[in-house]
Amino acid sequence: MFHSMNAFSYIRNWFAALGRVFRRELRHIIKDPGVLLFFIALPLAYPVVYTLIYNPEVVRKLPVAVVDESMTAASRDFVRKASASPSIEIYAYCPNMADARALMAEGKVFGIMQIPASYAKKLGNGEQAHVEFYAEMSLLLRYRTLVAALTDLQIEMISEITGEKIQMAGLQSLAGDASAPVKSESNFLGDTEQGFASFVIPGIVILILQQSMILGITLLGGTSRERRRRNGGIDPQEVPNVPVSATIWGKALCYTVFYIPMTVYILRFIPEMFNLPHYGNPVDYYLFIFPLLLATAFLGLTLNYFMKQRESAFIIIVFTSVVFLFLSGLTWPRYAMSALWTWAGNCVPAVWGVEGFIRINSNAAALSEVAHEYTALWLLTAAYMLTALLATSLLRKQN
Amino acid sequence: MNSFFSGIRREIHRMCSRKMYIFGMVIVPIFTVVFFLDLLSPGLPEHVPTAVVDLDHSTMSRSVTRSLRALQLLDICKDAESYDQALDQVRAGETFGFFVIPANFEKDALGGNTPTLEYYTNMTYFVPGTLSFKGFKTVAVATAGGVVQQTLVSMGVDPQNVASIIQPVVIDQFPLNNPWMNYSYYLTPSFSMATLALMIMLMTVFSITMEIKDGTSPSWLATNGGSMLQAIVTKLLPQTVVFMAVSLFMLWLMFGFSAFPMNGSLFWLIVATFLLVTASQGFAVFVCSVVPNPRLSFSLCALFGILSFSFTGFSFPVQSMYGGLAVFSWLAPIRYWFLIYINEGLDGVGLYYSRFYFVALILFPFVACVLLKRLRKACLNPVYVP
Repeated sequence: MFHSMNAFSYIRNWFAALGRVFRRELRHIIKDPGVLLFFIALPLAYPVVYTLIYNPEVVRKLPVAVVDESMTAASRDFVRKASASPSIEIYAYCPNMADARALMAEGKVFGIMQIPASYAKKLGNGEQAHVEFYAEMSLLLRYRTLVAALTDLQIEMISEITGEKIQMAGLQSLAGDASAPVKSESNFLGDTEQGFASFVIPGIVILILQQSMILGITLLGGTSRERRRRNGGIDPQEVPNVPVSATIWGKALCYTVFYIPMTVYILRFIPEMFNLPHYGNPVDYYLFIFPLLLATAFLGLTLNYFMKQRESAFIIIVFTSVVFLFLSGLTWPRYAMSALWTWAGNCVPAVWGVEGFIRINSNAAALSEVAHEYTALWLLTAAYMLTALLATSLLRKQN
Repeated sequence: MNSFFSGIRREIHRMCSRKMYIFGMVIVPIFTVVFFLDLLSPGLPEHVPTAVVDLDHSTMSRSVTRSLRALQLLDICKDAESYDQALDQVRAGETFGFFVIPANFEKDALGGNTPTLEYYTNMTYFVPGTLSFKGFKTVAVATAGGVVQQTLVSMGVDPQNVASIIQPVVIDQFPLNNPWMNYSYYLTPSFSMATLALMIMLMTVFSITMEIKDGTSPSWLATNGGSMLQAIVTKLLPQTVVFMAVSLFMLWLMFGFSAFPMNGSLFWLIVATFLLVTASQGFAVFVCSVVPNPRLSFSLCALFGILSFSFTGFSFPVQSMYGGLAVFSWLAPIRYWFLIYINEGLDGVGLYYSRFYFVALILFPFVACVLLKRLRKACLNPVYVP
């Protein structure tokens, strides 16, 4: 019916066909509890679960063992200052290193502070005194927290003792604050609390949008493939006699529209509910995310080529979440990746989505400032539209 | 005994007739470990793109810029004329932070007017954020020390005593067993083995629930003389062998080919890895017995497998999580494997400290046996709910 017609009626028929595909696909989604699980339950629940996992944000009160071989007022003063840090909690005083190492092996302490016998003497003689700190390295986050606390502690000790020394040396005539002639001030942009949830959630939610949508689409694709096998190569529930282009546009628009409420919930309400960084302009991030949804829909339709049955989605798609998480640069920055993985990441809509959304959401960038990512998302939409076209045509020819 | 071998033969035949098995059991786990080994091969993502805003243009400010450029942690790839321009560069994703040297810096520092060096780091990306913070802080503190030194020496203090005045106390830090701060030593073993555990659960669910879906489960039981336990063993044993072989290859890639630290016993880590295989299979059998329906058991295992990457504490410690969530981490076999890896591979503290983790891994398959009766009922009357 699509041959031998003039252009206008072709276009009208094309849109009518698209509408039929859209409505039919919507019915498929609503009638399939498996798809609803992916399209609704997963985007609803996962962001909450992830935020709850990381919501304590920072690591505090890390247990530390003290081996004080100096046993002097000066060494006790040092330990007192260390225990004042919110990151450090003195778990035990050990008579020797062996005992402290045993505590560490049991996982009771994550650091050992050893104050040598010469500590007070050296300090009194005006020599440089050393304190040794052994850190357990099973988690870098813990180590980093301890290092930050120790650096602050060292700076505190220096400004106190150096000030005294300069006075004692009769150098108080020195102009200004001699122990600190230059001040420094650190400022954190974006995630000002340096919290774990604040940094990880804005990125992860974009991955959740992409992966849940692909899982749902491939579940639908695998199910249709099973129906087709049972019915001699034709899926009785597909809209018949529709051009491939109308089929993929109808389906892709259906998924995208279905995802609008989920997207609002994830991009807008999740950061508000959990008090995460949320500085972006809603218009900017909604406009930004639209091509991500569309590109993802077409990517899912392309992947349907590989879905021989309903359960294929679980085995082929689920593990890719881990790979995509790393390609997105959330854990391991993209500038440190080799050309191969940078290129592989460039093909994943969520990789651009994570980068752009984080900057809009956490750094208050405007849409124009993420123009590069935005363009990339539209290019991916075009590319995956073509691959979806190809994959769907090939699938039809197989019958 | 005869039925045992015909059960095994039946399963090997099923495994060889579907490409999905090779994909899920061999290709995915090996791809994952190669992916992580290659992606994280630099160990630490140094050379963070950053910028300097020098508003002073003096000898001293140029020397500060030189110190920043000399740091391996940072890559000063941009010069910014102003704070606003530097902030725009951060927003555009070109840099992860910038260092501001104020106007009249040299004059104020030497004149005792205490100028302030400011540095800004974009913490929306945790690792580059903290690395550039560390680099900036090092230079800021060293600059302050350098000025004190210059002043004291010019006032006639013996240069040999200056160090003890500027830094009377030094805290020497010893990051035990990973002084290189290599990220790969944490992420590659934990994430690739967690992916293996995920795939083991999914493939186990796949092989069991497909019998129910295709209605072949009664003949599966009949081949095994009607015993559910034997049916499960004959079904999973060939997979166990494949998974163990794959896991050995993964371990070799990490601890042999890539020479990851192995301060304890490789033997016990291999034992732990084999137990991880059977524990994950046990977990999946348990799930299949509770919900003998492909959709629900697949969903549960996928959900649990993916979440276990987070709540088993590879990056954020379980001890700092909310108690209710920390409980879940003890349900995941990979959590015990991770703790054994830390003890054996990284810390080398001996088997004694891992004893409970081994016991936990051994328990999983036995727990799975508890509900086999329920699974048997479902297999005798297979009902497929899509």
